[in-house]
Amino acid sequence: MSIPSSAAPCLCPDASQGLSRRTLLRGAAATGALAAVEGVGAQYAFAASPATYTGDVLVVLSLRGGFDGLNAVVPIGDPGYLANRPTIGIAERALLPAGGIFGLHPALNPLKKYWEAGTFGAVHAVGQDSPTRSHFQAMQELERAAPGSSLRTGWLDRTLGTRARGSIFQASQVGSTQVPPALAGPNPELALGSVDSFEISGAWDATEHKRWTRALTAMHSGAAGPVTTPARAALAATATTAALAAATYQPANGAAYPENSALGKALRDVARLVKADVGLQVACVDEGDWDMHAGMGTADEGWMHDHLTDLAQSLDAFATDLGSRFARVTVVTLSEFGRRVGENGSGGVDHGHGNAVLLLGGGVNGGRVHGTWPGLSDPDLVDGDLAGTTDYRLILGEILQKRCGAGSLAQIFPGLSGPEPGVVKAA
Amino acid sequence: MDAQTLLLLRRATYGPTPALLAEAQKLGRRAWLERQLAPHTIRDALAEATLKRFPRVGWSISRVREEYAADFGSWDVMVELTRATIVRAVWSERQLFELMVEFWSNHLNVTCPSGDVWDSRADYDRVIRAHALGRFADLLVAASLHPAMQAYLDNQSSTKDHPNENQGRELLELHTVGVDAGYDESDVRDSARILTGFGTDGSGEATYRTARHWVGPVRVLGFHDTNDSAAGGKEVAVRYLEYLARHESTARQIATKLCRRFVADEPSSSLISRLAATYLAHDTAVVPVLRELFSSKEFNASTGQKLRRPYEDMVATVRVLGLKPDTSGTEGIENLHWMILDMGHSPLSWGPPNGYPDVASAWQSPAGTLLRWNAHLNIAARWWPSTLTGPALATMIPKPRPSNHGSLIDGLSERLLQQRATKAQQVAICEFLSDENATVKPSTPITKDSPAIGWRLPFVVSLLLDTPAFALR
Repeated sequence: MSIPSSAAPCLCPDASQGLSRRTLLRGAAATGALAAVEGVGAQYAFAASPATYTGDVLVVLSLRGGFDGLNAVVPIGDPGYLANRPTIGIAERALLPAGGIFGLHPALNPLKKYWEAGTFGAVHAVGQDSPTRSHFQAMQELERAAPGSSLRTGWLDRTLGTRARGSIFQASQVGSTQVPPALAGPNPELALGSVDSFEISGAWDATEHKRWTRALTAMHSGAAGPVTTPARAALAATATTAALAAATYQPANGAAYPENSALGKALRDVARLVKADVGLQVACVDEGDWDMHAGMGTADEGWMHDHLTDLAQSLDAFATDLGSRFARVTVVTLSEFGRRVGENGSGGVDHGHGNAVLLLGGGVNGGRVHGTWPGLSDPDLVDGDLAGTTDYRLILGEILQKRCGAGSLAQIFPGLSGPEPGVVKAA
Repeated sequence: MDAQTLLLLRRATYGPTPALLAEAQKLGRRAWLERQLAPHTIRDALAEATLKRFPRVGWSISRVREEYAADFGSWDVMVELTRATIVRAVWSERQLFELMVEFWSNHLNVTCPSGDVWDSRADYDRVIRAHALGRFADLLVAASLHPAMQAYLDNQSSTKDHPNENQGRELLELHTVGVDAGYDESDVRDSARILTGFGTDGSGEATYRTARHWVGPVRVLGFHDTNDSAAGGKEVAVRYLEYLARHESTARQIATKLCRRFVADEPSSSLISRLAATYLAHDTAVVPVLRELFSSKEFNASTGQKLRRPYEDMVATVRVLGLKPDTSGTEGIENLHWMILDMGHSPLSWGPPNGYPDVASAWQSPAGTLLRWNAHLNIAARWWPSTLTGPALATMIPKPRPSNHGSLIDGLSERLLQQRATKAQQVAICEFLSDENATVKPSTPITKDSPAIGWRLPFVVSLLLDTPAFALR
């Protein structure tokens, strides 16, 4: 656990030294599965046969550290783009055409076929209601998603609160044992570092697994309570993960997840859970290290290029692996803020505001860039940043309503109003 | 040991150890508590010696900035503070004091580590420590005007033209009277106006800038002041903070939180009322309140009502196993920190200003449970952290060696949980020890070759630490 070697040290004040920034931010932000609300009773009583959820599996892919939407979904037709980014701007000839003034970073090439098929799309100039340039605060606000209210729960937790209680796997953080702020609140969730590692330490084979399970079950026999109920849920979940781990997982349709990719591994596990029909409704996956203050690189190489390559290859493998299940999966990327329009003196970009959101899934209205483009000429910028013209909650709200069976959004996004951005088809 | 003393030890410390039990036995419950309430009288050699390995925690704000002139914004000191906090929880003899430091650190939360307080967070910790068993009014003034709080809740960017309401609001909602105290938005605005002018200067130290102070009459709940000069704004703020500290609603808030910390998730309103009255009668002094809390009938009837949160569980595990710091260096402590961090309960690290939740419902989770079980085994078997020192696990086996498995399990359970295992748990552990070669029952004799006192001993210890009895305080 250390700062990834690819990362030049962040010069912003919350840079970590010696500890992984991502780990710390997450440690600070969220926690092993907890509610941020005192006195709200979370009940781990899962229905014996959980209510059947028929909506899309929503995969929330958090690009932590501040994703540079401007170098991913590039507004090449806006003269302000290359003017502001003389060194790190991607030249038009290198870009994948994305319609209108936009082009995609060439590293996104593995996703080109989905763009053309209309299952991969983007929204640009997406913003938060009250922009801040603090990673920490922006992340909290993004995932709480209730500006101007004193709610301390996360939007995904509130989403779960509108539905009947499902299976233990209903809301799973995959790839980390820590629960993101979006899931903070009274509704239960599961955090899996990985399917294979969600196991009892001493249970090195099936016999030992049985031995531990039996013993731990007996140690927790007796009335339900704050200790015994989650213990039973943990044992039930390990029964599933142990069964999944026992069979070596073979991705379908020749899907090739990138090697040594944490994101690839996490998405592979999400596909595994989707296909195993364990009752997954929401999967949260984190991909850190987007805080590119220096040395972003170029169209062909460098930090941004490598990260986008990993992202694109991982998502391509995920979609391929899902096969026909891709039709009922929606992936949405979120990041706490975008980057400044102008590059800094270190070949990077500092913290900014408006950003691009990527969407992938069978129900996505893809092949285009949604949203209202505010422009990059000086008067259009907000403190040097791309303005946010689409509230990110409108995108999430539309997905929840059209793809994930949510009714009124009043409980999930209090006070939200605005036009539907039209990013997904009705299921 | 009588049940009430045991309960006191489980609640007023990070977990009983044999030495602690012996001490309480010798002194008696009341004297033990009084000793803990006067922490300066307690020698604390091991903790103090170990803390020398974390020297940066003692640096002043200006020293931090000097030392990190070339690496401005470094998180080193904050990370070291977190680890020093763990050291104190595990090895300090001033256990109740450390619990109160944790309590106030959450009540007046300034997330550590977080960006804006890289230089001031260790100094803020000293403020909490200075007042942890003192008067809340003093603590509130010192903490509210400290550069770390000023930065964390944005007051340092607050101006008379654009008062930032963040601290003014949290001061009311979280730090003092509570959200239901009957204030409205105009109170919040005036609360923010009163705090304008305070912040940090270029050196990172606290400062009051008269030019930024909003001048004019202010009214918050029953507090009012003409606030007619920028120079006088400083005194207005102190009077305001002291007024809030002594407010009846604040008394109830603090009393409720103390009850939730030490008694039960849903404490009785009569106990809250009594403690609130004590708090007010003693001008916000916390020691009389704790004295009354720990001697109350409600406390004595609260066995089994508090869950150990992950950090507390880990600290209690290290304590009960008698582990000591690395011979030199900090590797074992750092690994312990990683373990706690992985559980989402790194001390001082809660993000929002409301502090870590202190009720069972916030912490019950399958993943957290599994992490706890696995950590028990990792620590007991010395797999990870592997560099902490201390007696071998075999020293936990009662002497003389028990004759059968039932009495071995009981002996270990007494040692680890201060109570005997239930019949069902005894049988379950025996079944766990059975294999195709031998069926183990409670009556099965222990021989020198029994796996239960050999290679299976870490597993038996771990299973006992996995029981609900250990998960509770």
